[in-house]
Amino acid sequence: MGRLLTAGLKTRLYIVGVAVMFAGSAAYAHHSYGATYDTSREVKLEGKILQFSYRNPHSFVTLQAPDQEGVQQRWAVEWSGTAQLATAGVNRESLKVGDQVVIVGRPSRVPGEFRALMVTLKRPLDGFSWGSRAGEAVD
Amino acid sequence: MKTLVLFTAAMLLSTPTFAQPARPATPPDISGEWRLENDEEAGALGASGQPPLGDYLGIPFNDAGRMRADTSAESIWGTPEYQCRPHSAPHQWRGLGGARILKEQDPLTREVSVYHIQFMRSLDRPVFMDGRPHPPAWAPHSWTGFSTGEWSGNTLKITTTHLKDGYLKRGGPQTSDLYTMTEYLTRHDDILTIVSVVDDPIYQDEPFVQSTTYVYDPTATVNMETCNASAFAENGGSDRHWVPHFLPGQNTALTEWLKKEDWIPQEPTRGGVKTLYPEYRSALAAPATASTLRVPSSKSTVAIDKAIADQSPRDGEVHALPVQGNIQMLVVDGTNVTVSLGNDGVLIVNTGSAAMTDKVIAAVKELGKTVIAPATANKCAGANCPGAWGWASPYFSAVTSSPAPPRPLRYIINTSAATDHVAGNEKIAASGFFPRGGGFGGATAGVGSRASIIAHENVLNRVSAPAGKIPAMPTPAWPTDTFFDEFHKLPEYFNGEAVIVYGAPAANTDGDSFVYFRHSEVIAAGNLFSTVSYPVIDLEKGGNIQGVIDGLNHILDLAVAEYRGQGGTWIVPSRGRLSDTADVASYRNMLTMIRDRIRDSIKKGMTLAQVKAARPTMDFDGRYGSTTGPWTTDMFVEAVYKSLQEKK
Repeated sequence: MGRLLTAGLKTRLYIVGVAVMFAGSAAYAHHSYGATYDTSREVKLEGKILQFSYRNPHSFVTLQAPDQEGVQQRWAVEWSGTAQLATAGVNRESLKVGDQVVIVGRPSRVPGEFRALMVTLKRPLDGFSWGSRAGEAVD
Repeated sequence: MKTLVLFTAAMLLSTPTFAQPARPATPPDISGEWRLENDEEAGALGASGQPPLGDYLGIPFNDAGRMRADTSAESIWGTPEYQCRPHSAPHQWRGLGGARILKEQDPLTREVSVYHIQFMRSLDRPVFMDGRPHPPAWAPHSWTGFSTGEWSGNTLKITTTHLKDGYLKRGGPQTSDLYTMTEYLTRHDDILTIVSVVDDPIYQDEPFVQSTTYVYDPTATVNMETCNASAFAENGGSDRHWVPHFLPGQNTALTEWLKKEDWIPQEPTRGGVKTLYPEYRSALAAPATASTLRVPSSKSTVAIDKAIADQSPRDGEVHALPVQGNIQMLVVDGTNVTVSLGNDGVLIVNTGSAAMTDKVIAAVKELGKTVIAPATANKCAGANCPGAWGWASPYFSAVTSSPAPPRPLRYIINTSAATDHVAGNEKIAASGFFPRGGGFGGATAGVGSRASIIAHENVLNRVSAPAGKIPAMPTPAWPTDTFFDEFHKLPEYFNGEAVIVYGAPAANTDGDSFVYFRHSEVIAAGNLFSTVSYPVIDLEKGGNIQGVIDGLNHILDLAVAEYRGQGGTWIVPSRGRLSDTADVASYRNMLTMIRDRIRDSIKKGMTLAQVKAARPTMDFDGRYGSTTGPWTTDMFVEAVYKSLQEKK
């Protein structure tokens, strides 16, 4: 069967599979994503990783990046749990403290809170990325 | 006529066939794996696969409940104290992952003594079937509460009390910590129906009733959601004490979902008892609104005043509650006294009212007996028995000697100069003994004949007076050892552990402190924390709302939960039930929310009268407020307002 699939179809199936997986991961959140984050908006954060906490129920990337006023802040960007990330090829070594990354996330609903839900992550240095393909975004 | 008789006879004969099946003589077996197919997580009404914000449909909210839900932020899960908490009890049956019910049996009768109910995001929830009573009101609350069950026919009725504050659904609707839950579990073949009745007198006008259906599925398994969150705050920024919340009227997300679901009128989404009844249809069809409707309603069975008062009863008695390690909590006629018991003797934190001193002394002596090693049968005879200091026949010593006296009271710590903390000092200190002075064999009269009294320097300033002036308290009641800086450590272990008194600058007054028993993992919080009232803040004596919040944050920095945001370091409040980190966090959260609301009002130029009229504490008043007595809600709001004004 696998031999009958074209490379393009395989890729599309993979993308759909990943999309389904992450759609599922949102439902496993112990808190409500929709209530925590404004899922209609996105915020782009460019900065340096201060901490990568690969854990359950959700992983977090702590990032030093400017807020809308240009003031450097510690942003907590929520990511999937370890099982979901591991399936997507992300492990505890994937990100290092000091890495420069570009993150697109859904901002917190609470004014003054420097928190976001991961939509995409890119590391320009080596092209490492997560969630950048169509349908991969969580939530 | 014959036909009629025959017909009637036939009907009567056939009656058993048509009658309801007899209820089983033995209750059905409800143990096993149960699958839930209509969980609430997917969010029937959309909104990112989660229950939408502002959806209070079907919830009999009162105004306080609505305000509490509107101003709550889901980001509260990101605070260190809440990151690993399980779902609240009302949501568990409707959460993802199914349920597992195990049974524990009495080994002699093989009757079920305890059911254990487990969900993916729960702790083990025992339901005691052995007829034991519920704990006293001053016992701690937990996420799953304390449950007892009894069968009525084929329905298991579960009654749950001692629940922590939580939520009815994810993403908004909150509960107080005074709610009780009654569940009815009925098994019909492979279907298990659960009807839950959540009775929250603080936030609801009548009990909130839901039903959920499970299907028996022996192939199902209940996963365990692991949580290895660290203590860092998930909410970003650099303030680890950040408390996310919305100011009243500023949560703009509450009607977002109605843009998509525009067929739903907004009024019923705000909840309220009148929107639950069929009569409400007329309000939908006509210009009338819910406010003009008259509907039946069933009132809460929880009497608020009693439920709160029972946590700290003023009954003229002393009630002892074992806490952890060396520590006992004494509930003394409306205030708490913390007691450390061990081989070094007794240490008590605060002394209660003057009227209760004899009973406190008697209770401490009684508890003191428990740390004396009981006489045991002699296992050695002869002069070479170990431990014999010069032979005196261990046999005779064991059988003829009377028990050693209780260990002496050696320390009193006053966490403030409040009357119910110091009033018993004189008499209780006199019942103790602190081995000081003398030295080199020369006894000094009077020195060491009383327990040592430790307090912040400003407690001494408050109860004493210079020579020639009349002090607030007689000299023997004054602290004998004071400190003026961040903390005071007892110079050596007491009962095998470090005891540290931390100052809480400018909190309730300028002399407050709390006490940390470092090995027992217990903190006596003093007036910083109460489960029965807002904190008393005496501005004239140097108090300030920010100092109280800072003190609570300090306690939270020291305290660690045992597991899933529960237990671990126990916190003894000045008044009320024994608590843990989550309870202190809840109290801190409330005070932070109130502080921010009043600060925002001040920024807007509102006067004190205007702030009071706006009721910035409305959602907490039912739980902690008062319109009478020595500390009213009005006084509290004024103290917060003036605290923040002074900080300008």
